Amino acid sequence: MNNSALSIGETRAGSVCVVTLAGRIDSSNANDVMAALTRLITAGEKSILVDLGAVLYLTSAAFRALLVATDEAERQAARFALCSLAGHVRELFEMGGLTEVFAIHESREDALRQLG
Amino acid sequence: MTRPPELIYGVDERPPLPIVVGSAAQHIALMAVTLVFPIILAREAGLVGNQFLDLVSLSMLGLGAATVVFCLASPYAGSGFLCPAAFTAIYLGPSLFALRQGGLALVFGMTVVGGLMQIAIAPLLRRLRALLPPEIAGLVIAVVGLTLAGLGARYSLGLNDRQRIDPDYVIVAGLSLATMIVLNVWSRGYGRMFCVLIGMIVGYGLSAALGLLEFSKAMPPGGISIFRLPRLDHVGWSFDPLLVVPFAVASLAATLRAMGDVSNAQRINDADWVRPKFASLAGGVSANGIAVVFCGLIGSCGVNTYSSSIGLSGATGVTSRSIGYAVGIGFAVLAFLPPAAVVLAAMPLPVMGAALFFTAAFVFTSGLQMITARMLDARKNIVIGFSFAMAVVADVYHEALMGVPFVLRPIFGNSLVLGTVCAVALNLVMRIGVRQRVSMRLEPGRIGFEAVEQFLTQAGARWAARRDVIRRAVFGAVQVLEVIGAPPGGVEIEASFDEFNLDIRIRYAGAPLTVPDRKPSPREIVASEDGERLLAGYLLRQSADRIQGRRTADGAEMTLHYDH
Repeated sequence: MNNSALSIGETRAGSVCVVTLAGRIDSSNANDVMAALTRLITAGEKSILVDLGAVLYLTSAAFRALLVATDEAERQAARFALCSLAGHVRELFEMGGLTEVFAIHESREDALRQLG
Repeated sequence: MTRPPELIYGVDERPPLPIVVGSAAQHIALMAVTLVFPIILAREAGLVGNQFLDLVSLSMLGLGAATVVFCLASPYAGSGFLCPAAFTAIYLGPSLFALRQGGLALVFGMTVVGGLMQIAIAPLLRRLRALLPPEIAGLVIAVVGLTLAGLGARYSLGLNDRQRIDPDYVIVAGLSLATMIVLNVWSRGYGRMFCVLIGMIVGYGLSAALGLLEFSKAMPPGGISIFRLPRLDHVGWSFDPLLVVPFAVASLAATLRAMGDVSNAQRINDADWVRPKFASLAGGVSANGIAVVFCGLIGSCGVNTYSSSIGLSGATGVTSRSIGYAVGIGFAVLAFLPPAAVVLAAMPLPVMGAALFFTAAFVFTSGLQMITARMLDARKNIVIGFSFAMAVVADVYHEALMGVPFVLRPIFGNSLVLGTVCAVALNLVMRIGVRQRVSMRLEPGRIGFEAVEQFLTQAGARWAARRDVIRRAVFGAVQVLEVIGAPPGGVEIEASFDEFNLDIRIRYAGAPLTVPDRKPSPREIVASEDGERLLAGYLLRQSADRIQGRRTADGAEMTLHYDH
């Protein structure tokens, strides 16, 4: 398996469902991310944290997937946040002017303290 | 500029007065170590009594003025960072050479010439960047670190002409150094901030106890007064065209060191630092030239930015520019107090040694970080590796290399100058055939982003391109491919690189992409794939330094340009 291929992991930290994304997120796999997140939201998860610390880069398709999930979470009255944006990934959020659109936490620990 | 979390006081912050005074005192103590160079010059020139103290006092005035000019945040001169000054071994070799040829007047005159050359180079730095890339500045810093460590070790061990170690020196230097290390690594607050100053005070105390502190050696026969206006009796100026070459080399080496030091100061103050900011570099080099001219005019030798002090500011986390102004005031006051000149002139060698050895570690590793910030290909490995080796060879085989023709001695007799000259010359040679071009073709139905990522990353590694620029280029290429989808004739990607420019050209059958200036709203992005395309175009515009689309005979060509 290529080490930059997308992997999606799910763990639980108390009442928060933590989704760990790793690798590249582009149009070839953004739908997988969107499907995984909307499945959790529609299944009734009320706090979802997406950890982007291991993401290498993401394209506009990935941003759209995250925005769709944010909208869905709002509709279902669930809390949806991102954490651990680093390096180029953070730059892309800043370039797109999207840091204000999402609830973003510096680290997973910070996020869990606030969501938990 | 992103403030690194480990900084206690950043460059634009103003610490409380006690911190300013304590930090300035610490820098003054560390900078005073370099007064050893004008002191060597004064002793070689046979100056004694008040003339000797005058040269030391005027050198302190020079250090203070130089530090203020270096720190200025002005568009004409100054780096804008805490960038203290120091007398340097770079100018010592040519100065001693000039002293033998024509006495102190020739030293001071040629020092002025050296400063003028630096002032002339400063505005050309951006154009000369191909000849003076950051890794060469890093090499200069690393060699300075090694030189400081060597000098520090020699002073600490008290080595005499027969290479015998003096146990008293080892005790003083060892305990001073241990104090600095313990405070720097395992303490916080004042302990970490003033670790070098406290270590030096411990060293002075131990030296006094062991009889190594001799103020009498620096005292004029008739005693000293508390306040005295330094006189310019020893000052005069003369010039010799034969000495232009060694002073030009010294100017270039000092320029490279200033560029390295200012880049290092930028890096310490910016967590996101990836490349030097040329306005600040030019300001620092121009300030260096002005300071060297000033020192030549008042009868002292050439100054340079001080890698140790910048290392100290990084180690203590106090990088406020106001410390530099306080240092300037401090040295200006000390210049009129002969007892201060005596105390500094009498600084025990093992105390100097401990301070130099401690700061050398930070200087050396800063240089290494600057060298390795870029991917190193075969060319750069040769430039850096050979030049570093030549710098070491200059020290190890010093006696043998002094057998070169007279005019070349200033180059071969100094590790920093030899390493620098070697690096600049090799870098010029290695630029032959440096512009490179590669291309790949993605057949219809087989457009894989992963292959594009691998292709550009491998090309970037071969070209020694900066990783951050390659990451942006990979993103740009993949983002374009994502939007154009699967064009019927496939896609051709061409990447060309020449050290300062990376261009990615993507050719396909279809229309050029729309690259909007306007940021789409989250609502637009979610509503349809058109919104996503708008975001793609907007991200491309933001991430590339230039983006251009044009129609071609076969379809369209998108060009993404990245400054390197």
